[in-house]
Amino acid sequence: MSGTSGEAGSQTAEVKAPAKVKPRRSATQAAVTWRRFRRNKSALIGLTIVSAFLLLGVFGPFFAAYPPRSTASLFLGQAHEPPSWAHPFGTEPTGVDVFSDSIWATRNDLYVGIVATLIATALGVAIGAVAGYARPSISTAVLGVIQVFFVIPVLLLILLFARLFLLEVVAGWGLTLIVLILGLFGWSGIAFVVRGEIFRVKELEFVQAEKALGASNFRILFRHIVPNILTPIIVLATLGVAGNIITEVVISFLGFGDPNTATWGLLIDDGFRYVNTYWWVSFFPGLMCVILVLGFNLLGDGLSDALNPRLRE
Amino acid sequence: MDTLLDIDQLRTYFFTEAGVVKAVDGVSLKVARGETHGLVGESGSGKSVTALSTLRIVPKPGKIVGGSIIFDGKDIIALKDKEIRSMRGKSIAIVFQDPMSSLNPLFTIENQICEIIRLHKGVSKAEARDSARHLLEMVGIPEAERRLKSYPHELSGGMKQRIAIARALSCEPQLLFADEPTTNLDVTIQAQVLDLMKSLKKELNMTLVMITHDMGIIAEMTERVTVLYAGQVYEACDTLTLFAKPKHPYTEALLKAVPRLDRKKELTSVPGNIPNLIEPPPGCRFHPRCPYAVQVCREKVPVLEEAGPGHLVACHRWRELGLSGA
Repeated sequence: MSGTSGEAGSQTAEVKAPAKVKPRRSATQAAVTWRRFRRNKSALIGLTIVSAFLLLGVFGPFFAAYPPRSTASLFLGQAHEPPSWAHPFGTEPTGVDVFSDSIWATRNDLYVGIVATLIATALGVAIGAVAGYARPSISTAVLGVIQVFFVIPVLLLILLFARLFLLEVVAGWGLTLIVLILGLFGWSGIAFVVRGEIFRVKELEFVQAEKALGASNFRILFRHIVPNILTPIIVLATLGVAGNIITEVVISFLGFGDPNTATWGLLIDDGFRYVNTYWWVSFFPGLMCVILVLGFNLLGDGLSDALNPRLRE
Repeated sequence: MDTLLDIDQLRTYFFTEAGVVKAVDGVSLKVARGETHGLVGESGSGKSVTALSTLRIVPKPGKIVGGSIIFDGKDIIALKDKEIRSMRGKSIAIVFQDPMSSLNPLFTIENQICEIIRLHKGVSKAEARDSARHLLEMVGIPEAERRLKSYPHELSGGMKQRIAIARALSCEPQLLFADEPTTNLDVTIQAQVLDLMKSLKKELNMTLVMITHDMGIIAEMTERVTVLYAGQVYEACDTLTLFAKPKHPYTEALLKAVPRLDRKKELTSVPGNIPNLIEPPPGCRFHPRCPYAVQVCREKVPVLEEAGPGHLVACHRWRELGLSGA
């Protein structure tokens, strides 16, 4: 009996099923990309590293034992101590807890890397788009501007600006100043690539079809062409974050950063003078920086492979 | 005759590094409201550029350098950019040759049709969606509701061309250019698409300009024909006359190149190639390939003459030659 009723039940289920079947949706670009990305081990490692650091940067400071640049340990007689349970990364001679400051620095460096890259990418796409799509006279002029920004030594400019403004004008806003400078001077690479890609895509027939149907140049450019060139932009932006973090470390290490804001570069600089005796002060922040930059590079390479339509498995 | 499109002495040149390519060099053409007009000629004869000029979307380095285009009483060439843009897709539309690449691969069909409707009609999303579904049904796409959600790569070539037609028709244009709409489709689909265009034309009361090099399509679809060669009009008349009594040697050569079931003779092609449009041959541009060419053809440019009622021909010898039709 039970067998029969079970069969009847499954039959009704089978009859009903087709009515409920949703229209089949084919794999979206995102799903295809994720499938290829998943198979790439180094890409997954990169993604894991970047995610871990993002979590650390967002939530870590809530668990940090000391506020940033705190010299509290000095008064507990715990300055220049090697790594221990109380101070996993040791302390500086000034009493700064390297572990807590490294966590604060993670947040600060991610902020610099990501926001500066967002600014640079937005500028690079907009300027590259004009250079790739405007009429020849404008296009050539914009290309000239891109080339100028491409050859100016950004690091020197940053050091100059930092020296000019950091201490007097924008005290307390040092990181934001660095973000702005990195963003405003670091877009030329993306602009070059965007310009080239637009040259390729604007000759495709659907662009002319859009024009023939009455779409404006602005709509064609930003709604139809730019979405078609997102792949290199995403990859370049991912790699750009790593580059911007390194630049921030260099700035702070050279002593041009904000001495009151915890960043990895500042910690490395702190420890650099007595690296023979108190090696941990420079070592741990440096290690974190290397791992995160490696993570972004692996992620960028992985994305570039996964998003590349010419690499078929 | 109620003329919808009146092109007069249109000249569209391409300023390339190798020199000035005179792709359209003095084309005149009248299209009556409601008729199906054929534009025929070999590749590079200026058919497509004539259509693109009418929409003012000639790709760089091309430029309209002379002549006039009057559409529905409006001087197209004198219009402001904004005015012509609002006419594209709304009053004049075009279906391109390659359906594979005339849709943006990133967006769904719904997205791409609704965009055009909302752009020109300013209706709500839901209304645009309703008309999009209606359009897909009209161009004979089954399961329209589901297809709206598809991406271009999920559709066959024939379906994509139907979508491209639906997009072109979405704002019920008065004039539709079909630029070799079936060249990239296989033969059975070609027939379907041609039938579709025929019935849609009747349904929507449009004027249709078929651009093709296929004399079969001309015979099947059109009422009047303009024969272009090397950027100039060489013959223009109604379709029946063109096939029965062509007056220009080039038309005759084109007709001879059409395969026919009832003729056992060898199929001939037009000898030679279309001339270099940077330095076209002097005199009649067809003379190097023309079997009837004489001295005057090499020296004097022929002008369009009336060879009969509504029959124009540009040939020095049309009176003396007895050409055979199909």
